[in-house]
Amino acid sequence: MNAPFPFGFPWPTAFYLTLYVVTFAIHVAFMHYVIAGSSYLVTVAVRNRPVDPDRRGTLLRDWMPLMLSAAITAGVAPLLFVQILYQKPYYTANLLLFNRWMAILPALIVGFYLLYLLKSPLATRRGMWLRVVITAGAFGCFFFTGWSWTENHLLSLQSNEVWAQHYAEGRTRFWTITLIPRLITWFAAAFPTLAIWLAWQIRLTADDDTENHATVIGRLALTAWIGMAISVIAGIVLLVMDPPEVRQAVLGIAGIPWMLLGIAGVAAQAIGWWQLRGVGRLCRSRLTIISAGCSASILAGAVLRELMRISRLDIAAFYPKHAAAAEVGGLVVFLFFFAVNAVIIGYCIWLVRSADQLAPTDDAPAQDEVHSA
Amino acid sequence: MDVPYFPINDFGPIMKGLVIGGLGIFHVFLAQFAIGGGLLMCHLQRLAQAGRLPLARRFIDDFFQYLVLVSFVMGALTGVGMWFTTIQISPRTIGVMVEEFHWLWATEWTFFCLEIASGYCFYRYGRRLNDRARLTLLATYSAAAWFSLFWINGILSWQLTPGSFMETGRVWDGFFNPSFFPSLIFRTITSMTIASLAACLVVNFVPDFTREERAEIIHKCAAFLAPMAAMPLLGIWYFLSIPADSRSWILGGSVAMTLFFSLGVACSMLIGAYALFGLLRNQLYINGATCLLLLALAFLATAGGEFVREGARKPYTIREYLYSNSLTEDEVEWLRKHGSVTNDPYPLQNRDELPTDQIRLGAKVFRKQCSICHTIDGANGLTHLTATWTTSQLRMNVSQLQRTKPFMPPFAGTPEELEALIQWIQWNNSDRPDDWPPSNDPDVLRDIRKWMDEVGTTPGIHLVHGSETSQP
Repeated sequence: MNAPFPFGFPWPTAFYLTLYVVTFAIHVAFMHYVIAGSSYLVTVAVRNRPVDPDRRGTLLRDWMPLMLSAAITAGVAPLLFVQILYQKPYYTANLLLFNRWMAILPALIVGFYLLYLLKSPLATRRGMWLRVVITAGAFGCFFFTGWSWTENHLLSLQSNEVWAQHYAEGRTRFWTITLIPRLITWFAAAFPTLAIWLAWQIRLTADDDTENHATVIGRLALTAWIGMAISVIAGIVLLVMDPPEVRQAVLGIAGIPWMLLGIAGVAAQAIGWWQLRGVGRLCRSRLTIISAGCSASILAGAVLRELMRISRLDIAAFYPKHAAAAEVGGLVVFLFFFAVNAVIIGYCIWLVRSADQLAPTDDAPAQDEVHSA
Repeated sequence: MDVPYFPINDFGPIMKGLVIGGLGIFHVFLAQFAIGGGLLMCHLQRLAQAGRLPLARRFIDDFFQYLVLVSFVMGALTGVGMWFTTIQISPRTIGVMVEEFHWLWATEWTFFCLEIASGYCFYRYGRRLNDRARLTLLATYSAAAWFSLFWINGILSWQLTPGSFMETGRVWDGFFNPSFFPSLIFRTITSMTIASLAACLVVNFVPDFTREERAEIIHKCAAFLAPMAAMPLLGIWYFLSIPADSRSWILGGSVAMTLFFSLGVACSMLIGAYALFGLLRNQLYINGATCLLLLALAFLATAGGEFVREGARKPYTIREYLYSNSLTEDEVEWLRKHGSVTNDPYPLQNRDELPTDQIRLGAKVFRKQCSICHTIDGANGLTHLTATWTTSQLRMNVSQLQRTKPFMPPFAGTPEELEALIQWIQWNNSDRPDDWPPSNDPDVLRDIRKWMDEVGTTPGIHLVHGSETSQP
């Protein structure tokens, strides 16, 4: 790794690493919304306030199933590329965690249905405790999934001897102290992402131009600042606790440009939120800057995570596999349909956002009624 | 030779094939419901726009909510679950499939994204859109769902009929393989059938419709059952496209396969008969209970069909390349010289329960070579299968496994490993006593070697059908 990531690798490896990191970053953007959003919904349910003046709770409740669906759908692509990049360690970790790992599937299904249940009239009509149970249950399911992924990832980095011992003892859980700072880093980093998602949603769904955003900006800014601060501190702790080769990879030539990008991203967000607080309204230009900062920090985080993994694996052993994978056909077809389908998705969104199309029909129910279905 | 070793999990009395099969059947049923559902909604929307079924619009909005709740959640997650479960059962199989077809899988993913995006757009805004926009979204949704089937179908059918892929290695030779089109068309019609029955079920539970309105919708939805008439011909086409040996398992070579095949055919015939004579010809009304019964039959037909499709690949998981126990043909020969578990880094989890080193070796051989399809005394248990065999019968049958049962792969280990496996089976058949005498008679090992050499490593399907006739 004598060049900035991903240039220090043979081109097939660099190619698949790039695809993995980019698709993983997209998945993270949605996943952050779900994990941070569901935890916020627990607090909303516990406080049980009759009104939602800044609409954060309403928006989250309304959009959460779609965002979970997006997170799962976006997660399929990195899941494909990780199998090409690190097949043996990834499969081995899956197998070693066995039932415990497979439990993420029912957990996600239960969490998904709980989100729909939260939107239903049943959750609205019944008392606070039902909403607390639903939101806490959904958050528990998603947190369990995140925990399991982290556990799986860390187990995949272990030696053959650790794997053999893990298997012989019939354990289906893997514990290492670095699990804690790693989880805190990811969980805390979800809040700045949620803040910018919500800011855009509040801006784009405002029915009234005179809606006062000053209070919500202050709350979102605070959420983002605290999230970034905790995430950065936990990230530093993780780096200190990890072996020296991990620090070398992150702070060496391969990682430094990305580390700087991450710092720039965090700075852009911190300053952007400060400025927004001063302006007192959700202006597009500053939201765009914060979004760019958030995207940069997610991408940098994804790259640094990958460098940490690579530093602990003998990636050169996988080069022949990557080269063989790069030889197989179908790339042109994929690129063609990727472009075509992206355009069609854009068209579908344009279609439903088009004001002309949104004329109510005779039997069209109110929007709330539609959403509660 | 670098033979990969993974930690192999014990599923207790449950055969691993039942785990992947069970989830697979469930997922396929839901996925086909989503595909057929999209096509049906398009059809109904067109009828509504043409003025032939004005109340279709209301029904579509109701039905689509069920579609989203069932297929977007359960369908999507069981799809991911199929990947994870395949890793649990046979990591090497899914590894090869990903390596060879990852761009096609990635292409399928783009259609999946389109399906989700267009589906949610309709779910969220459909009621407020004009007819043209509604039809556009529904057509996009159903096209995306069908193309997901198109791409996955190519990869799955390649496992059974790789066609000229094994010679050329070209991805399109593998994708457009001999069973691609019959399988695709068959699945499309199955999807239409499931969606039609599901729609008839849903209309019975939507409270706002009168009986006459329900009857009208049911008769329009029943039109989607008509293509079932082509199923027998398609079934024959599919049947002829698969290898001769695979056909022979279905036609009596494997009792389980024949039973599941019969189950699938019988259930399909019952649904077809009711659809053609009851719903289409006599225009009968169908209530919720009958719909549920027909859907249950459709589920059983799917189960039978999927079981047969999976089982017909035996002794391979990827035909002509990877045996069901995740060993390649080349590796079998090498492992007969060097041992199948010599380099296995994973110790036994129940080591202390086994009395001797030979029994432990046998247990490891079972884990590596047999546990993918067999348990010891549960489903497809070796105890039940071998209880009546004498020890020498057992030795000879396992030495020439592919001749004993042509849908089994050849034994891939040394004579010492084979004898250890035999002793482990016999020890289990004898209620696992605390002491077990070692078996190291050189004459026995010489006989085993002779039997193994007699049949070689040629797959059983070639012994029975010859290498040419194994192709369709």
